[in-house]
Amino acid sequence: MKSYQLSSLDTLFKQLATQHEMFEPQQLPGSSDLHWLPSQEGPADQYSSAKKRLPLAPAKGFLFAEREVLFHFDGKTFIKTVPKVKPQVLFGLQSCDLCAIAYQDQFFKGDSHYQTRRQATLLVGFDCLTPCDGGCCSTVDAGPFVRNGSADLILHPKGDEWLLISTSEQGDRLIQPLNLSSAPSHWLEQRHKGEAEVVKRFPSDQHIKSSIKKINQATITAEQWQQLGLQCLTCSGCTNLCPTCSCFTTFDQNIDGESAAFKRERCWDSCLYEAFQRESSGHNPSKEAGERLQRYWFHKFSDHYADEFNRYGCVGCGRCEQTCPGGIGIHSIMRRLENAS
Amino acid sequence: MFSSSKKVINTICPYCGVGCGIALQVEDDHVTGIEPLPQHPVSQGMLCAKGWSTAFALDPHDRIKTPLIKENGHFRPASWHEAYQLITESFLAIKQEYGPHALGLIACARATNEDCYAAQKFTRTTLGTHNIDHCARICHSPSVAGLRQTLGSGAMTNSIEDIEKADLLVIFGCDPTENHSVLGGRMIQAQQAGAKLLVVDPRKTRLAKLADLHLQLNLGTNIALINGLLNIIFSNGWEDKNFLEQRCENVDALRKKVAGYPPKRVAKITGVPVKKLQAAAKLYSEANRAFLAYGMGITQYTSGTNNVIAISNLTLVMGQIGRAGTGINPLRGQNNVQGACDMGALPDVFPGYQEALNPTNQDKFSQAWRCEIPQQKGLTSLGMTSEALNGRFQGMIIMGEDPVITDPDQNHVLRALKALDILVVVELVMTETAKLADIILPAAAFAEKDGTFTNCERRVQRVRAAIPPPGEAKTDWQILGELAKQLGYDGMQWPNAEAVFNELAQLNPLYMGMSYDKLEQDNGLQWPCNETNPTGTKLLHNNQFTRGKGRLIPVDHTDPAEMPDNDYPLYLTTTRLHYHYGCGSMTRKSPLLERETPNGVLFIHPDDAEKLHIHTGTPLRISSRRGEVETRAVLTDDLPVGTVAMPYHFKEAPSNQLTNTAQDPITKMPELKACAVKIEVVTAP
Repeated sequence: MKSYQLSSLDTLFKQLATQHEMFEPQQLPGSSDLHWLPSQEGPADQYSSAKKRLPLAPAKGFLFAEREVLFHFDGKTFIKTVPKVKPQVLFGLQSCDLCAIAYQDQFFKGDSHYQTRRQATLLVGFDCLTPCDGGCCSTVDAGPFVRNGSADLILHPKGDEWLLISTSEQGDRLIQPLNLSSAPSHWLEQRHKGEAEVVKRFPSDQHIKSSIKKINQATITAEQWQQLGLQCLTCSGCTNLCPTCSCFTTFDQNIDGESAAFKRERCWDSCLYEAFQRESSGHNPSKEAGERLQRYWFHKFSDHYADEFNRYGCVGCGRCEQTCPGGIGIHSIMRRLENAS
Repeated sequence: MFSSSKKVINTICPYCGVGCGIALQVEDDHVTGIEPLPQHPVSQGMLCAKGWSTAFALDPHDRIKTPLIKENGHFRPASWHEAYQLITESFLAIKQEYGPHALGLIACARATNEDCYAAQKFTRTTLGTHNIDHCARICHSPSVAGLRQTLGSGAMTNSIEDIEKADLLVIFGCDPTENHSVLGGRMIQAQQAGAKLLVVDPRKTRLAKLADLHLQLNLGTNIALINGLLNIIFSNGWEDKNFLEQRCENVDALRKKVAGYPPKRVAKITGVPVKKLQAAAKLYSEANRAFLAYGMGITQYTSGTNNVIAISNLTLVMGQIGRAGTGINPLRGQNNVQGACDMGALPDVFPGYQEALNPTNQDKFSQAWRCEIPQQKGLTSLGMTSEALNGRFQGMIIMGEDPVITDPDQNHVLRALKALDILVVVELVMTETAKLADIILPAAAFAEKDGTFTNCERRVQRVRAAIPPPGEAKTDWQILGELAKQLGYDGMQWPNAEAVFNELAQLNPLYMGMSYDKLEQDNGLQWPCNETNPTGTKLLHNNQFTRGKGRLIPVDHTDPAEMPDNDYPLYLTTTRLHYHYGCGSMTRKSPLLERETPNGVLFIHPDDAEKLHIHTGTPLRISSRRGEVETRAVLTDDLPVGTVAMPYHFKEAPSNQLTNTAQDPITKMPELKACAVKIEVVTAP
């Protein structure tokens, strides 16, 4: 780990752009929503603002594609498809999303499609100096400051300048031509202490903490889950936007409508769908919406998974709260579970 | 520097009338994913399962990519020139022999306003007839007809954001969490935040299960129920006397009429116990702000227009209109069915609901379009198919609709379309209707064109091209413009969608203040938008009704045209599923949505099922006086005993084999919500 003093983001951005396709959260004309978009000019001016917003759609699809062809069959032979990915930089990731990528790195360890994309991707993270609306990263140890090892490069604002921390060999190599001077030692110390100050400014997370306990102690009854399940419209929004959700399904598509040639695609799936676990006999271990809801939140907050992945499946980004039409995203449901007796 | 082929385009979801904002992720001219838009005023970062699956619907593999001409029963690819030539010859021959009234067009409530405007202009200027209609006929024509009589305007009176301003939500004959999910979701969230929820529905819908009070009425008894509620309200003196005096007329006639609906009688007709009727009347009367939403459970009856009038009566008597958080809010089915109506894709009105046979309007449009305006009254869609069977209607263009699946009495539709001399279908994919065409023209889908959609709260929003159309496909307004020129009318040669919009905005008083530039701001504008309301209108009728005073019109309960009897002992009603949309030509391309439900299903109460020895999965034959279909049973006590339900999305089990064409006398709305059927178990041969 090396730390540098960086006077302008522009220099860093231009340096990375010489060898990479650059992506960062940006607005479209006439809209204030953020989207991960290719950045020709970069960097956007949002990073210096104290309050950073998350793009509602995370960068998940850059690594775990929403849809991708796994192989073709031309009528005789199966032909494996490998994604062609140019070297790319995801510039401007927040800590929650970086923790999610680290989580998916473990899940997709043996997945060649994911790994091809991942190997081609450099991650540049930014520390958040204020809580964002609906965010609860600090509750689940996923922020607000970027965790070491989760990004190649970490940026921390220091007035008009930046503390730049390189945590990977690739990061070191890429910034070497900039000949940056080392960061003053007290900068690192200040950063280390500063996170606690930001954490203090998060709203109360008591509802999440006490509900995590209830989920793990299985004190929520089937009836209570079922009542909450009525509010699940099976839209799949939470799983699509959750940066750690990794379930997929596959399907075959005939290529020309006539011959035997087809391609097999995989696409994001959602465990909230009734048919997600339905067996061909018709038997379904999670037939009821309440059972599926319970499973979803169990996957986010169970201690069993925490043991396997060294963290909870929730990174506290708060996207499910924003996208859930039924009003059972993280904060709403945790409040309901907290009050369930 | 690397340049990327990745981009994101903001547009509007192509499914229902809620009009959610979506962003299309595009890579190498393919839509690869969907993003919701947190700042969008309607969807606020939410989408339903259909919206989330939009990328699948845009897969090009089953798209029609060139014009197709049928020869010896098979389609062969053809050039645009050849297709236009053939249509021109055929249409001119029909015009010569039978007159323009033998031609007509079905417009598409899925297409843009620009497309719909072009469709009605083409019909009126080039075909020379008012024979134009679209699927609003079978969803909300009674809303337009009923509310125009009572209020003077047939659209949602309030805005979607009013859901959060209400302290009572009344959900009448609609299933918003399944069909208008984001709007339904906002209702659930409003209830969580403290609003009360009153649901009137024969089925235990999701909202009914969550409701503070559910009135599970018998099919087709809306008017009796509302008259009963009004009876209780008047008897207790709960009516809004000030509002009635200042803003309404004809209250005495209504009072007299509903006196004939005492609670006991109403309980008998509707099956709703007196206590619940009283509780509902009290709940509605005590509300400060009651937002009433209704849907097909009101309109799709032979009493459709009267049902809408009854809803209007209830709302006016309690003064629950003209203020934030209140109103009469018909939930429109298609993404642009509001727009298709606004554009005048209806036989009786020009754009902006200007009556088609009114001489002043005819002069206006004759001058604007530089042509003669036809004088003869236009036919509705069912009028056209009936005339086709009578041999008086020969040539038809259908734009993007699939009436073989979606219209009542499938056999009637099939016979009618087969009886035509020429059927031209403008489509994305080979639908059941397209299969019957003589000529198919390939159309561009919503992600392939610029334009506007108008959602159910009258919000006109920009739709943007994200990818090129596949093959030779073109936008509807381009196709119709080119065809018009072949047929001898050159007034439809627009350079782009914006030019079409500018023309239509000039002629439609509701859209007069709008332009593409202005629509960019605030995610669209709500009509009326004109000199008086340059920033659009969130709330209609706040000081006075469009027609002046609100008119109370006494209406009586009438039974559905066909009721269960010894031969056909069960009531059939038709429903929609969250996962599918219309004929399924888009949603069924998603492997996730397709996996979610079987290809056709009959819902039946366990008590009915037991009598017939039916289990979930049992193969069944369901027949009515008009046809029969085979499908499988799903047992659910969401339905009342004696009523079975089928969704209409599946060509494998088309519920419209069974439905009745009996019509509302005013709007010709067919009675899709109730008919009589019998059920037999299908045994292996």
